Amino acid sequence: MTKRRTLAALVALLAAGAAAFCLLTSPDPLPVAAIPAHAVDLRNGETLYHAGSCLACHRPSDEASGVDPGLPSGGRPFPTPVGVFYPQNLTPDSETGIGRWTEADFVNAMRRGISPRGTHYFPAFPYASYRSMTMADLLDLRAYLMSLRAVRSPPREADVPLVPLARRGVGLWKQVAFRQPLFSADPARPAWWRRGAYLANAPGHCGECHTPKNWLMVADESRHLAGGPHPGGEGKVPSLRGLLARKKYKDVGDLVLALQNGETFGYEHLSSGGMAAIQESLARLPETELRAIAEYLLSLE
Amino acid sequence: MRLSKPAVASLVVAGSILGASLAVLAADAFQDRHMAMETVGDAMKPLGAIAKKQVPFDAAAVKASATTIAENLEKAAKLFPAGSGGGESKARPEIWTDAAGFEKAMKDAHAAAVALQSVKDEAAFGPALGALGGTCKSCHDRYRMAKQ
Repeated sequence: MTKRRTLAALVALLAAGAAAFCLLTSPDPLPVAAIPAHAVDLRNGETLYHAGSCLACHRPSDEASGVDPGLPSGGRPFPTPVGVFYPQNLTPDSETGIGRWTEADFVNAMRRGISPRGTHYFPAFPYASYRSMTMADLLDLRAYLMSLRAVRSPPREADVPLVPLARRGVGLWKQVAFRQPLFSADPARPAWWRRGAYLANAPGHCGECHTPKNWLMVADESRHLAGGPHPGGEGKVPSLRGLLARKKYKDVGDLVLALQNGETFGYEHLSSGGMAAIQESLARLPETELRAIAEYLLSLE
Repeated sequence: MRLSKPAVASLVVAGSILGASLAVLAADAFQDRHMAMETVGDAMKPLGAIAKKQVPFDAAAVKASATTIAENLEKAAKLFPAGSGGGESKARPEIWTDAAGFEKAMKDAHAAAVALQSVKDEAAFGPALGALGGTCKSCHDRYRMAKQ
């Protein structure tokens, strides 16, 4: 009799646990009505595309032949300690890219980390940073991507153990990660500083590697941009704080030249741990925007 | 075949010596290639100063730097024996799992440094330095890890 009772209690507990898991991990997309009417600014979209270094991760695989390496057709393996990811094709191909994505689909991917099929993206796709982007910027970025040449590059599921369960479990992580306040630049600072801070933190997602993570794998904002273990599992990511005091760069002009040219001009530390591809993207930013980023970074003590 | 105790003992000793020598050689390879790559990095700096227009273009100075770079790249390319990664080294395992790709990347960098040696004017300098820098970046991006 007691045995049967224990069994019943266990089953009830398991059922309650499963129900709680389902509830807590359920994707919560923005409704279509949340997307405002918007006049597109393609040049702003291009700036955001380079500020976010989209191409750095959404590059085609080195093995893919006859594919333009300058277009974000995705597929290049992105190794992490939990497994290998194959970033999405960001060109407007209707079968394999984002050609059929609505504005709401795109905004949900960037702000909520939810795919058009309604499943969670793993946070290797840095939506925790992108969710601080303005709606106008997201729509401009989408318009810019839609203006690129369409490339066929089929998606590939991540090599992660227990993918469907792990994917659903990302919902639990979001419960914690999305409680972090959105990035907002100190209103007391000058406009160019706020611009640089926004570009570096929201689209630029510097903190995804340069801010260490706590035990819940959420950015530890008490050590914002202070460096830490490389999220790829190899080596360390340097701190972006105190760059002037530590004599890493002489002044804003020096950091701008470094971001524009990297190792070519003898700035040898800009090519490790995946930074080379990011530097190449940042080099395409208008100099005023790059200068704003440099001003912001060098102000961090 | 049964080996006598002294024979086993000498085999063990010989094996240990061989193992230790290989470890020392790997450590030497790491130190030597690290020095060579640091020399390359230092030789890039005066070229960067010309590109930044902090120093006027000087064909002889460019040739000297480019020669140092080419020589040290050639030296470093031979200093990546299997098993010499890990520890302090920033070498990624892809250097050995993709040995052909790594060899080509080093050859490309060397060829770009050789091309830079014969640059005679400022107009040709920018693109030639850009080409060399591109080979540094793509090789480091793939085969070097971040470590401070």
